[in-house]
Amino acid sequence: MNNRQPLFRVVKKNQVDGRKVILSYLIAVAVALVLGAALLALMKVNPLDFYSKMITLGIPGNRYPARSVEGFIRLFVPLLLVSVALSLSFRMRFWNVGGEGQFIVGAICAAAAAFLLGDVLPTPLVLLAMVVSAALGGGLMGTIASALKVRYGTSETLMTLMLNYIALYLLRFFGETQGAWNIFLTDDSARPRFETFPDSAQMPTIEIGSFSLDVSLLVVVVLCVLVYIYLKYTKHGYEIAVVGDSPNTARYAGMKVGRVVMRTVFISAALVGLAGGFYVSSAGALSTSVTNNVGWTGVIVAWMAKLSPVGIAVTSVLITVLQYGCQVASTTYPNIDSNFANLLQGMILFAVLTADFTARYSLVWRGANKEVSA
Amino acid sequence: MKKLLALVMAGAMALGLVACGQPAEGGSAGDDEFKVGAIYINSQNDTSGYTFQHHQGITTAMEQLGLDPESQLAIVDNVKEEDGAVSNAIDILAGQGCDIIFGISFGYINAMDAAAKEYPDIIFSHATGYMSNETNFNNYFGRIYQARYLSGVAAGLKSLETGNNAIGYVAAYNTEYAETCSGINAFTLGVQSANPNAKVYVNQISTWGDEAKEKSAAQALIDTYNCGVIAQHCDSAQPQMCAADNGVFGVGYNSDMTDKAPTAHLTAAIWHWDVYYKEAIAAAQEDPQGFMNSVGNYYGGLAENFVGISPLTNNCADNTQAVVDAVSDLIVSGEWDVFSGVKLSYNIGEDGSVEIVRTDADLKDNQGNVIVPAGGQSITDEVIKGSMDYNVEGVVVG
Repeated sequence: MNNRQPLFRVVKKNQVDGRKVILSYLIAVAVALVLGAALLALMKVNPLDFYSKMITLGIPGNRYPARSVEGFIRLFVPLLLVSVALSLSFRMRFWNVGGEGQFIVGAICAAAAAFLLGDVLPTPLVLLAMVVSAALGGGLMGTIASALKVRYGTSETLMTLMLNYIALYLLRFFGETQGAWNIFLTDDSARPRFETFPDSAQMPTIEIGSFSLDVSLLVVVVLCVLVYIYLKYTKHGYEIAVVGDSPNTARYAGMKVGRVVMRTVFISAALVGLAGGFYVSSAGALSTSVTNNVGWTGVIVAWMAKLSPVGIAVTSVLITVLQYGCQVASTTYPNIDSNFANLLQGMILFAVLTADFTARYSLVWRGANKEVSA
Repeated sequence: MKKLLALVMAGAMALGLVACGQPAEGGSAGDDEFKVGAIYINSQNDTSGYTFQHHQGITTAMEQLGLDPESQLAIVDNVKEEDGAVSNAIDILAGQGCDIIFGISFGYINAMDAAAKEYPDIIFSHATGYMSNETNFNNYFGRIYQARYLSGVAAGLKSLETGNNAIGYVAAYNTEYAETCSGINAFTLGVQSANPNAKVYVNQISTWGDEAKEKSAAQALIDTYNCGVIAQHCDSAQPQMCAADNGVFGVGYNSDMTDKAPTAHLTAAIWHWDVYYKEAIAAAQEDPQGFMNSVGNYYGGLAENFVGISPLTNNCADNTQAVVDAVSDLIVSGEWDVFSGVKLSYNIGEDGSVEIVRTDADLKDNQGNVIVPAGGQSITDEVIKGSMDYNVEGVVVG
């Protein structure tokens, strides 16, 4: 019997000391940064200079500091909304890894609305139509997976994952196939190229001096607050928590589990689609690489923040500082390319996740079994 | 707990700001320095391929002009063809004080057009594009078809020597892009000027670069059509290496591929990007206001030494150098160009002297339609750059 036991087991710690967790996070980040510094030194780059440019987003000494903040916001808005949206599904233990696909379909739907209605309707109505169609498009993508799961018990992980590729190749098809029917492409280029949105479909900005604030930032912050309230203070929010803990308990309590799943996944995917719609409206055009991998990064952010809306907001800021800051810093050094930036981000994320794991779980070796299990 | 965590992480960030604030201030460069910005589709640390060629061109040009790429060149690399990402890259480069910004990929076009209005005192220069304005936004590309014609002449002479009239061409794309299509056509016209009986068999791989596909496409051309020369428009030297393995000959692209396939390589059609970059950077430095007058939209060719062929190897047929030189002189002088209603042929004397014979003849596509009537003017640059979508007589799509 004893021989059949694995070499070690993973045991959740009964009591987790908050200060210890934080300390281990900080140590993890420090270790990753020191490793990165060693690599930078190898490439004859002063690590302190590099890191200071990274953390300050290159703003000191910048000729257009307002643009740096705008660039930061451009990356931050989709990441925040997608992470919050995905966390809705995750709280219910519905593994929605279809963020990429839902984002793309949201973007395509918003673009379709922009081109069909952009020259017909006034700006507020065009934007409204874009937002509504983006949410519906994204939500529909999520509903395909949730309906199949509720009705036939299919794996939502596989379904959402594979739908990503359907969406991506649909977008590529639109991007590469010229024809009179294709409203997404411009007519004046011999080589296929996405058309720029009409002015009425561009996300409005609020000018504060030389800084132009993208309105989608305000909308997304409000949406995140609403999600927080929804989860914490409404009956729906309570149902999500119960279904996530135990679908059987939920059923016993008289909840219609299938309905809760369908509803929540629709909201989750619709918000992701909305993020896609906001993004293309701000960028002013579609592109085959419109997602910037936010559907994947959002998964990491949601889990690092333990699915808490406040945690997600903070983690999104930190991840965006890391992403944008790395790009800015590497621009200054001709021999540092974005591969290094990706490597550094990977090391930091990996270190933090490892630290989180070791702080919350312990490994129990085969020999030590008896003492602990008591 | 979570709140505490959030607080501490935010605190750590703030600490970082304070701790690192000092070196940033000390490290900022002087404002008077001229700065070049570049947006790349791949990495500047690549060792071959499209981005590598451009990076080489920019650094070479800067060194020739006495600028230091280490401190005066800012690069945002791996920028996808997405307007948001390109705008971000431009904002970063503008913020660092770049005076001229080069974007090397076609899909950067929208964002560069918009940025040219937003930053009127920065010059934007876009490779392979077609948009521009009158003050600070131009596009640049080259008459690579002229170099391909010369490489076709070398391939045609080789096919005459070996008596094998089948020539293969591994193409990224064909009629989908004017760039690839005009390359195939120019090469074929060059081949047929030397050997009117030769045919060019095109095998399309539908990607700009995939080493495995490039290799198998070349092998298929050799197996199916018994091709004796393999030409290419794709990123790697795989088609040349495949030709060498099969004991046949090859014509490369983008860089001199002789060291990759010494027994096969004849010559390669190549770019001298530094020629343009030197002109553009010098103009931006000396007279940025006059940039569009002095440089404008750039479409250099053999005459500017912007395109050319790599040195002919000993694999080439006798007298190839003399013929290629004579044709090159004719193109450089502006007397004749590739896509016109005048065909070239060559009388090669016993002593190696070359006489070029010019004959008026229809330029036809491979469906028999006349594109340019006999003796007619060359096709316009707009068609060659932008809308050519047919193959000339002698091209066989495999």
